[in-house]
Amino acid sequence: MSSMDEDKELVERTIKGEKEAFEMIIQKYQHPLLNYIGRTVGERELALDFTQEVFIRTYSSLHSYKPQYKFSTWLFKIASNFIIDYWRKKKIDAFSLDQKDRDNDLPPLQVSDEEPSIVKKLEFSELKERIEQALEKIPAPLREVFVWRHINEFSYEEMAEIKGLPVGTIKNRVFQARELIRKHLEEKA
Amino acid sequence: MKCLSINQIYLYIEKELSLSENKKIEEHLATCRKCKKALEERRPLLQASENLPLWKTPPDFTQQVMARIFPLRVPLSAWLTAAYAGLGSTTLAIFILFLVAGQHFSSLLTSLNHSLWNFVRNLSPVFVKLVKVASLFIKALQQFFGYIIKTFTSLTTIISPQVQIIIITIAIILIAFSIYGIKRKILIGEKA
Repeated sequence: MSSMDEDKELVERTIKGEKEAFEMIIQKYQHPLLNYIGRTVGERELALDFTQEVFIRTYSSLHSYKPQYKFSTWLFKIASNFIIDYWRKKKIDAFSLDQKDRDNDLPPLQVSDEEPSIVKKLEFSELKERIEQALEKIPAPLREVFVWRHINEFSYEEMAEIKGLPVGTIKNRVFQARELIRKHLEEKA
Repeated sequence: MKCLSINQIYLYIEKELSLSENKKIEEHLATCRKCKKALEERRPLLQASENLPLWKTPPDFTQQVMARIFPLRVPLSAWLTAAYAGLGSTTLAIFILFLVAGQHFSSLLTSLNHSLWNFVRNLSPVFVKLVKVASLFIKALQQFFGYIIKTFTSLTTIISPQVQIIIITIAIILIAFSIYGIKRKILIGEKA
C-alpha cells in the first residue's frame, strides 16, 4: 500500500471513530510538521505548541478533507495557514502578503562575473551551521519554501498545491531563498 | 549557447530537466569556466541544505495531542458506582456504630448533633477574634508600606540617581552592621 493510500485509509478510520488511526497520523507527521513550524517560528516550545494546534485543527476539519488530494499537502496547507495567522496577529511585515506582487517583478537570476567562492571553502558541518543561521535572516515566505524543499523534501508541484501558486513562482522563491542564503554566507565570510 | 541562468543551474543539480536540456547544459559547462564555477559553488550548498539537523518531538508528544483532542471523560456508570459505594459504606458505618454503642439510631443522632453544636459554640468566639486581629494587622502593614512607598517616591523626584545609590548603599551597610551588632550582643549575653 502506498503512503498516499495509507493516509486515506487512516483518515477514513479516524472519521469512523477509531482513535488509534489518528494516533498513527500524529506519529507519522509530527517530525515533518515540527521541522517546518520550528524553522518558521524559530522557538522550540512555541513550535511544539503550534504543532499540537495544527493536529487539533486537522482533526476537527477531517470531515472536509477530499480524498482526491494528497493528505500531506492538505495537512501542510493547514499548518501554513496557521503560521500566516500567527504572523498577522504579531503584525510581522516579513510575512506580508505582497510577496505575490514581488514574485512578478523578480529579475532572472544570472551568474555574476566576479562571483566569490565561499561555499566550497567551508567544512560541511560549518556550512550546515551557517545555513541554519542564514535561514533565520531571510524573508519568511522564502524560508517556508526552502524548508519544504530541503527538509520536508516536497516536490515543486506539491509546494505549488499547498500554496495555491504556479509551479514557476514556487521555483523562483526556492532559488531566491538559496541565493539569499549564499549572500548571507558571503557577508559573514 | 549563452551562459546559464542560476535557475538552470539549480534545476540541473536537482535533475529537474529533460534529457535534451541536460545535454545542452553539459555541453556548455564543458566550455564555460564561469558557469562551471557557479555550479561547483552551489552543489555543496544544496547537499548541506538537505542534511540539516532534524528537530525531534518529546516521546510523549502523541499522548499530549490525543489528550487535548479526547479529554478524559468519566462515564455516568463510574459516577453511579461511586455514589452507591458512598451510600453503602455510610449505612454500614451507622449500623456498626449502632451495634458498638448499643444505642437506638435516633438517640445516636441526637448525641452526635449535641457534641457537634458544643464544638461550634466553643470555637466560634476564638475564630472571630482571630479574624479581627488578622485584619487589623494587615491594615497596619498596608499603611506602613504605603508611607514607605510615598516617601521613597517623593525622594526619588528630588534626589539625583547617584545620590539615591549612595543613600541605599549606606542604608544597606547600616542594616548589616546593626544585624551583626544584635547577633554579637546575643552571643555575649549567652556567654555571660
